[in-house]
Amino acid sequence: MDRKRSYYEDVALFDSKAKLFWFFVLMAFLVAYPHIVPSNSYIYMANLMAINIIVVLGLNLLVGFTGQISLGHAGFFCVGAYATITLMIHAGLPFIVALPAAALISALLGFLLGLPALRLEGPYLSIATLGFGISITKVIGKMQFFGGRQGLHAPELTIGSWNLDTDLDFYYLAVGLTVLLTIAARNIVKTRVGRAFIAIREDDIAAQTTGVNLTYYKTLAFALSAFYTGLAGGLFAFVLRFIEPEMFTLLMSILFLAMVVVGGLGSIMGSITGAVLITWLDLQLRHILTIPYIGDWLRTLSQSWFSITGVSNIQYIVLGTIVVLIMVFEPLGLYGLWIRAKKYWKTWPF
Amino acid sequence: MKIRSVLAIMAALVLCVFSAGTALAQNGVTDTEIHIGQWGPQTGPAAPWGAVARGTGVLFDMVNAQGGIHGRKIVYHMFDDGYNPAKTMAGVKELQESSTGIFAWASGVGTAPGLAVKEYLASRQVPWVGPASGSPHWSEPPQRNLFGVYPLYFLEAKTLTRYAVERMGKKRVAIMYQNDDYGKNGVDGAREELASHGLELVEAVPVELTDTDLRSHLLRLRRANADCVLLWLSPTHAVMSVGTAKAMNFTPQFMSTSTCSDFPLMIHISKGLWEGVITASFGELPTSGSPLMLEYRKAFDQFAAREERWGVFFTAGMGFVEPMVQALRNAGRDLTRERFIEEMEKIQNFQGILGNISFKPFDANDPSSRQGQYEVFLIECLANGDARRLTGWIDAR
Repeated sequence: MDRKRSYYEDVALFDSKAKLFWFFVLMAFLVAYPHIVPSNSYIYMANLMAINIIVVLGLNLLVGFTGQISLGHAGFFCVGAYATITLMIHAGLPFIVALPAAALISALLGFLLGLPALRLEGPYLSIATLGFGISITKVIGKMQFFGGRQGLHAPELTIGSWNLDTDLDFYYLAVGLTVLLTIAARNIVKTRVGRAFIAIREDDIAAQTTGVNLTYYKTLAFALSAFYTGLAGGLFAFVLRFIEPEMFTLLMSILFLAMVVVGGLGSIMGSITGAVLITWLDLQLRHILTIPYIGDWLRTLSQSWFSITGVSNIQYIVLGTIVVLIMVFEPLGLYGLWIRAKKYWKTWPF
Repeated sequence: MKIRSVLAIMAALVLCVFSAGTALAQNGVTDTEIHIGQWGPQTGPAAPWGAVARGTGVLFDMVNAQGGIHGRKIVYHMFDDGYNPAKTMAGVKELQESSTGIFAWASGVGTAPGLAVKEYLASRQVPWVGPASGSPHWSEPPQRNLFGVYPLYFLEAKTLTRYAVERMGKKRVAIMYQNDDYGKNGVDGAREELASHGLELVEAVPVELTDTDLRSHLLRLRRANADCVLLWLSPTHAVMSVGTAKAMNFTPQFMSTSTCSDFPLMIHISKGLWEGVITASFGELPTSGSPLMLEYRKAFDQFAAREERWGVFFTAGMGFVEPMVQALRNAGRDLTRERFIEEMEKIQNFQGILGNISFKPFDANDPSSRQGQYEVFLIECLANGDARRLTGWIDAR
């Protein structure tokens, strides 16, 4: 469908005017969004979505593009959150410096974790990353410097003279960063580095014989992924303005991975849709019992089979079912759905 | 053409920007309804504590069935946060900023979920009564909108230690504590009480949430020759400690907190080993025959779900909001948040199914202006899961 005539056409950020147009429509929508929603809680939800999008972009660079699995991204998320707050409180750095610095610390840990990844693959790598994700929260929880299990409270968030004390202010920060990081991710995967990642995913030995430096690119994938996740963690610390180590659980890592897979492995747009959908379901499925008819039916089902109290473990079962259904009917995730829709309309009405 | 459509869309969006943003958050009271919210884990590992939120619901059902409060019914919004602070915040914001809003928040299980929303509720001056955790964060420093009902873990430790030393003649008191806020409050309380008797803790052993083998911990206690051990742990770890001690023939007097005072549950999961353990309790026992408890029991039979258990956490959920209901009644028909807070402050020597509750006009330097209950009593676990009451209400300050 999109025939390319030159290399530069292939690496261009927007390959058609129509795309550029829709990009601006999207931007206008994002600017207007907080003003057209009925309440502040939608802005809060959008903030969580933006943060998850950043994580999933990073995780997709690693899992979807480079083919390296990670079950430890909650660990990087935790490092980013703690490093941002600690740098602000103890080193007195302003947020605008502390956030990228924290992301770099996270990236350094990602680089270190990438080293064993050179020798590990598949299930072995997932266990190594799993170990990292679990142990880092324990280590932080042990250290009084990081507030131990009592957690840390975030300081005031200011950028220059801009005091970001409402969800609305934070929305523009988070969404602005998300847009920048999305463009950056798209640039990465469209150029040399991204091609190297994809080559490694397809076959690392073949990639090496064609001149891709495995050591460099595999650790780079880990570091980049951890950078994205650490940055998102730094933002997350200011969503709640309170963090404690037990918040960054294994379940969080798995949800991140679910967002990648549901959205579509190896796709930027998939990362965004996956993060948005799973965040929304995770927050809103608790209303499932209030839907007319279906809610009552699910309550009866839950009472007779799943839960002794009749109150809803059902939401997790429904979330799981939705994820499984997406995988069964569209293995490429939501991105696959998009491609199919595009193909269908291309030849419409025939 | 394209430029024109872009302009049209932009114009439409700008219009939206100016037309929205004027809607005001409501204060959760209408002519016929008072909206009250609560979070509580109904899923995940902390789910057993979710009974608190359901207990509150049944109490409100009972109040409504008796005709409500000055012509208004309580509309209760309970949501499941799975003990995940990010979800607590999401749910609280969603309800608080909905079209009707929430008038006040009731209870809410857990220190971390509560801490996540504490500042948010304070910044809007939304009243919050009876967080379901004995953490000192609720009243130190005191906060105008927040009324603590759960007695501090610190005081439970003092009361138990005093009983051990004065009434049981124990000299070598030790503690096993969860390595967090909750555990450290226990250590501080025990230390302070022992110091006033010229004694010291013979051993204090931290336990991590993830520990699965407590033998080395108990060896340290045995080596210290402890004759009384406080267990400031989760129910699972507390049971594990008692079991491990039994296996190594180490038999001190075990004592534990109100979080481990659900005796039928503890006897069940410890296979009978919890017998003889002494714990603190901050409320009448579900099995007590007091008239109020019998009335609640009736409400339970009428309104609770079929498989619900009439346990300590469930009745605690009712007890935490008793002062709230009282203040709503006293505030009369002209209900505002301001008025409600004034009435909360006027509550003196209130007696429901918990201990004696009193608040005072707000004083930023006086935690007792916002911490209402300081009393606990001690109970001993019997073989069949029943409790034997050892003391009357004690204020250990």
